[in-house]
Amino acid sequence: MEILSGSFDREFTLGELLGGVPRERLGAALAALLGPEFRLSSNLGEVVAGTSGELVGAERVAVRHDLEPLGWLEALATEDKVRAAATLLEMLLHQGARYLMASELHIEVVNSDYAALQDQYAALQASEARYKELSQQLEERVRAQVSVIETTQRQLYQAEKMASIGQLAAGVAHEINNPIGFIRSNLNTAHAYIKKLEEIAPAIRATTALSEIWKRTDIDFMLEDFHALLQESISGADRVARIVTDLKGFSNIDQSEEKYVDLNDNLRSVCNVAHAQINPCAEVIMDLGELPLLRCHVGRLNQAFLALLLNAAQAMNSRGEIRIRSRHEGNEVRIEFTDNGHGIAQDVLERIFDPFFSTRDVGKGTGLGLTVSRDIVAAHGGRIEVRSEPGAGSTFTVVLPASDCT
Amino acid sequence: MAEYDEINRKLMLKLVYYGPAMSGKTTNLMRLHDFLAPELKGDILTLETQNDRTLFFDLLPLGFKTPTGWLIKLKLFTVPGQVVHDATRKAVLSRADGLVFVADSQQNQSVNNSESFQNLEENARRVGLDFDSLPLVVQFNKRDLPRILSEEEIRARWKQAPWPLTFASALTGAGVKETFVRLLEQVYPQIDKQFSLTEKHGMSTATFVKAVAGI
Repeated sequence: MEILSGSFDREFTLGELLGGVPRERLGAALAALLGPEFRLSSNLGEVVAGTSGELVGAERVAVRHDLEPLGWLEALATEDKVRAAATLLEMLLHQGARYLMASELHIEVVNSDYAALQDQYAALQASEARYKELSQQLEERVRAQVSVIETTQRQLYQAEKMASIGQLAAGVAHEINNPIGFIRSNLNTAHAYIKKLEEIAPAIRATTALSEIWKRTDIDFMLEDFHALLQESISGADRVARIVTDLKGFSNIDQSEEKYVDLNDNLRSVCNVAHAQINPCAEVIMDLGELPLLRCHVGRLNQAFLALLLNAAQAMNSRGEIRIRSRHEGNEVRIEFTDNGHGIAQDVLERIFDPFFSTRDVGKGTGLGLTVSRDIVAAHGGRIEVRSEPGAGSTFTVVLPASDCT
Repeated sequence: MAEYDEINRKLMLKLVYYGPAMSGKTTNLMRLHDFLAPELKGDILTLETQNDRTLFFDLLPLGFKTPTGWLIKLKLFTVPGQVVHDATRKAVLSRADGLVFVADSQQNQSVNNSESFQNLEENARRVGLDFDSLPLVVQFNKRDLPRILSEEEIRARWKQAPWPLTFASALTGAGVKETFVRLLEQVYPQIDKQFSLTEKHGMSTATFVKAVAGI
């Protein structure tokens, strides 16, 4: 029997209400009550039990359910008997209706509960998806924040280092500037004095006694050499003064505002500062093209250039060559640091920008040089490109956008 | 919704007694079974109960033949009042042509009454009934008990509501038939509009009520 859900309160047919009753046993029972000549048929004409042949002179009684006749019971028996049998059938129908309605209502309720559960499930899934997405976003934000914090920490660390160097340099520069000043001035004065001495030399030479002593002590040579000495001292003092100036400019890390500069000046200044460290390892060849003025943090970029230069020097197995090349190409300024050192192996190359990665012995390098350099260049909107051939050397290229130039 | 069966010349109506648990919906139906004397009256079909509480529904079929030979059949249902049987309540409520809301007059039952009424409104909307135009009578039952809200109080509270109020004591039978008659009076115009009972079958509200209630 097919159960239609959603209509427990519909009208039922005789067949439906007798659905749970075995037809043969019903027929046998009715035959026992009414004799073999009987028929139970629905009001649609379908024979439910008994004979389908003609019943001449049979009693015909309605079998009712819910006010209406659902079928007819006919038999060649007394009216009392047929009516009694019909009453029995009506009681069967009533019980059948109870069962059918309850079960169909139950199906309706289960279906609607199931639909409600499915709705809830769908809503739950939607909210779960939303939470998943949220947690993913959160994770990404945490990752981004962590990387910002790490970058800032590295920069702080380097900045602190540079600031203390800067303070030291500023102090040294201040202390040296004064003595250098008067040394330089005194040397000039000494130069003048020597000239005056030279003026009186012919007169002294004319005097025989003094001339003897003059010759013996080789004053002529002394005067000549005196000039050379003073000249050398003056250029030495000038160099000291220049280094002090460079050091001051280079280490001016806490000078945070941006300035328009010619990066070639910076490169020269960095080379001067690092000269002592570089010279034993390599010869520096400068190939500087004309550059536009770039707006940048001078101290920071110097720091990056220094790191690249020192790295290049440290890549040398024997005394080699470092070539610094600067060019303005299209919208970019490219500064190449090329060495002919030992180069970088492929597996190391992948990690050189990782924080705290270092191939040097513990205590020799922080593993932050390239990381901070990359951060600094990135902060200027640029990037660092690396090319390396193990055994032949490496080229690190700082590429900066030249759109922000004058 | 009323079912109109042209072939079998039959019109079927579904009337539902709604309300909070233990407010007397089944008792109303039993009294109607006792009191009403329509041309055709079936037995009450009660399904399983638990401690006197309806689990599924009760059903009382009533009916009469119009002068034109049509069978008008009314099926009176009760819903289970307990909150947990909401899905059953919804299924029984669907396709209803008229409603009696059986409220409990006891003072401590006001909250249950209003929650059940809200539930009726929601379920009516869910099964697609137009609650504003649905024939509805509100019956305050258990007038025989002590500590009940007075009629004045109830009328004051329901002053804004458009539905007729009746007062009953289903246990003694008072007001049960009156409530049912008020419902029939509201149902008739609606089905008349739909099926032209007056025009086609020579019925009026009075003859309709008389035929169903037997008075």
